[in-house]
Amino acid sequence: MKAVKGKYYFGGVHPHDEKKLSQTAALEVLPVPETVAISLSQSLGKPAVPVVEVGAEVKEGELIAKADGAISSNVFASICGTVTEIKTLQGMNGNDETHIFIKANGKNDKSELPPLSEPSADEIKERIKDAGIVGLGGAGFPTAVKVSPKTPVDTLIVNGAECEPYLTCDHRLMCEKTDEIARGARYIAKALGVTKILIGIEANKPDCIAAFENYDDIQPVILKKQYPMGGEKQLIYVTTGRKVGIGKLPADVGTIVQNVATCYAVCEAVELGKPLYERALTVSGRAVQNPKNLWVKVGTPIQAIVDFCGGNAELTKKAVAGGPMTGVALGGFDSYTHKTTSGILLMTEKEAAADEPTPCLNCGKCADVCPMHLMPMNTAFYSAAGDMEAAAKYGNTAACIECGACEYVCPAKRPLIQAIRKTKAYLRNRK
Amino acid sequence: MFDNTVVVSTPPHVKSKRTTRGIMLDVVISLAPCAIMGIVFFGWRALMLELVTVFTCVATEFVYFFLQNKGFSNKCAHAGEVCKRWLKQFDVSSVVTGLILALILPSAVHWYEAVIGGIFAIAVVKMLFGGTGKNLVNPAAAARVFMFLSFSATMIKYGLPAIDAISADSGTLATGATNLSVLLGKNPSTKLSALDLFLGTGVAGCIGETSKAAILLGFIYLVARKVIKWWQPLFFIAVFGFVAVLTSGFAYDTYTFDIELFLPHILSGGVLFGAVFMFTDYVTSPKCVWAQLLFLGVSAILVAVMRYLTTLEVTSFIILLMNLFVPLIDKYVMPRPFGYKKEKKVKEEN
Repeated sequence: MKAVKGKYYFGGVHPHDEKKLSQTAALEVLPVPETVAISLSQSLGKPAVPVVEVGAEVKEGELIAKADGAISSNVFASICGTVTEIKTLQGMNGNDETHIFIKANGKNDKSELPPLSEPSADEIKERIKDAGIVGLGGAGFPTAVKVSPKTPVDTLIVNGAECEPYLTCDHRLMCEKTDEIARGARYIAKALGVTKILIGIEANKPDCIAAFENYDDIQPVILKKQYPMGGEKQLIYVTTGRKVGIGKLPADVGTIVQNVATCYAVCEAVELGKPLYERALTVSGRAVQNPKNLWVKVGTPIQAIVDFCGGNAELTKKAVAGGPMTGVALGGFDSYTHKTTSGILLMTEKEAAADEPTPCLNCGKCADVCPMHLMPMNTAFYSAAGDMEAAAKYGNTAACIECGACEYVCPAKRPLIQAIRKTKAYLRNRK
Repeated sequence: MFDNTVVVSTPPHVKSKRTTRGIMLDVVISLAPCAIMGIVFFGWRALMLELVTVFTCVATEFVYFFLQNKGFSNKCAHAGEVCKRWLKQFDVSSVVTGLILALILPSAVHWYEAVIGGIFAIAVVKMLFGGTGKNLVNPAAAARVFMFLSFSATMIKYGLPAIDAISADSGTLATGATNLSVLLGKNPSTKLSALDLFLGTGVAGCIGETSKAAILLGFIYLVARKVIKWWQPLFFIAVFGFVAVLTSGFAYDTYTFDIELFLPHILSGGVLFGAVFMFTDYVTSPKCVWAQLLFLGVSAILVAVMRYLTTLEVTSFIILLMNLFVPLIDKYVMPRPFGYKKEKKVKEEN
């Protein structure tokens, strides 16, 4: 279908996207690492429960930990080898997570689910759950829960915005695996019982937009280059004009949003029976010699990825897992990738903004760019003073999506997201 | 693996290049046309006043910071260390205050009066309240009002532009009635042409306020650099002009809405300067768009009405007054979050 233009929303910023570093690098496969350490907390919700013992031989794609409860996901061995250890260590975002260590044995045996042909809606839902698929855009919400909404939906929106600077893995995926993404989107649409499929792509990826114009049942929507265009609520508004209320879910306005990488994973799970134990990620930043887009097994040591791309630890001022606007700053290369890790960025001092904060000027720029139309400066002011109730009230903090646009634009370099997270933590504990 | 220079913080990990110091420098640049035109019109006296106020403001800030950080006991920081710290945090905002203060003074002001004004602006209005970003009212406007009340003899002596002053006997400064007092008086016949008012030629007034062309240049620069929003001064001027024309119908006892008076009104006195450089001041204006509209609208109406009632230039008084309402406006006028729906009120039965 011919691409149409998306709407515009007030707010947002236009950071230097630096996508040219890696957007022409075709996806390549990272060599199998010697050991992997697979965290059991791969999604929101409870960690999975291990089903293997130390010393067990596992094949690539074998279930090693089972989902515990509805909002949790299955975890699979990403390489063929022996389970050497199950221990708790600090994950990349600072929480203690149980990791299963697997040492490669050089074999390439695979254990996959039976492929489905012409699956029914229920079969697709069951497969998404069994394959441990989670939202690969970053939040890691189990896809199985998302495809079983409580209210009827009429539109599936595929998120190909990739509005984060630096990251190009979705871009490469859309260029190279267009067919698979389209088929995956159709499977999800079938599971949901909807026929309308929209795919939102930012205007800086014309090749992807053109590629998706070839499908009769998929409507590409050209989005303005604006961060955060890929935020769920923003994407729904610009593609369909519907506004998701505060504290409401996309399903409440009849839409479901899925990332392109998730669609690809669903396609593989249905057609090949391959569970989710591998993903595309971008390795970029000015401290990396050869920025690349890689297929990486879940649980790969970050050190192995950095070495493969020629990362320079000397030049690195900030190492980030994920995108530069919402990702996690790493204290070292000694952690392991997750299902949701969409990038490894090594930034030089010039790129990484590590300036000391200066006093707030009340300029209101943070409120101007807030895509949720909140007042971040109030949250920062009151939470610094210790009045968390006022921080939540006058900043409307509960509605914040933590996109980071406010802190990006702040001329005084105030740590606004930190204040917002502190306030949100207070709100969670109060309940 | 890493030496300890790696930074770990909350996201975002990239930030805009914009800094407080950069914004303040932009404001200084945007004030440059006004300052230069002031020197052209009012001669070296204007330059002297500009230098005196800027120097006083920066020096006052330094002395305040030094005393605050150095302390008086032996344990406190080394003097050189304090100076380095001051340089590191210096954000040019005191230069902006000093320059704006000079530009809203008449050229007849004595240098020691300007020094007192500068000290008042920085020490009392800004630093006592906590420094940059914490002052309740605009330091330059407060200092001008302070000087107006303290040195009323010189503060109402509006110099005529130097070109005319040459013909007057040298040494003493030629002063004249501002166009504003003519305009607000009962006899509007002697007013200058709108073009004269726009360029500032032959107009008596404050150093930086007479040439509206220079103010317009500064406005364009500020908008191009995205320091202020383009609609802020325009909205203010539109509301002000409309109300001013309305009130002049009463002033001249004609009771008509004479739209020809629109240009003379907005081009007279310090309204345009205030609209571009003072009502848009970050620290002392509200934070969100709706609050800014309310603040500018009410200020514009007040300036127009008070001008009519007092037949004086009241812009700086209104700036002070409205600055004090800003925290209140900020408390009650907030943007609606994206996707917000008004909750249906459930009647509570007591």
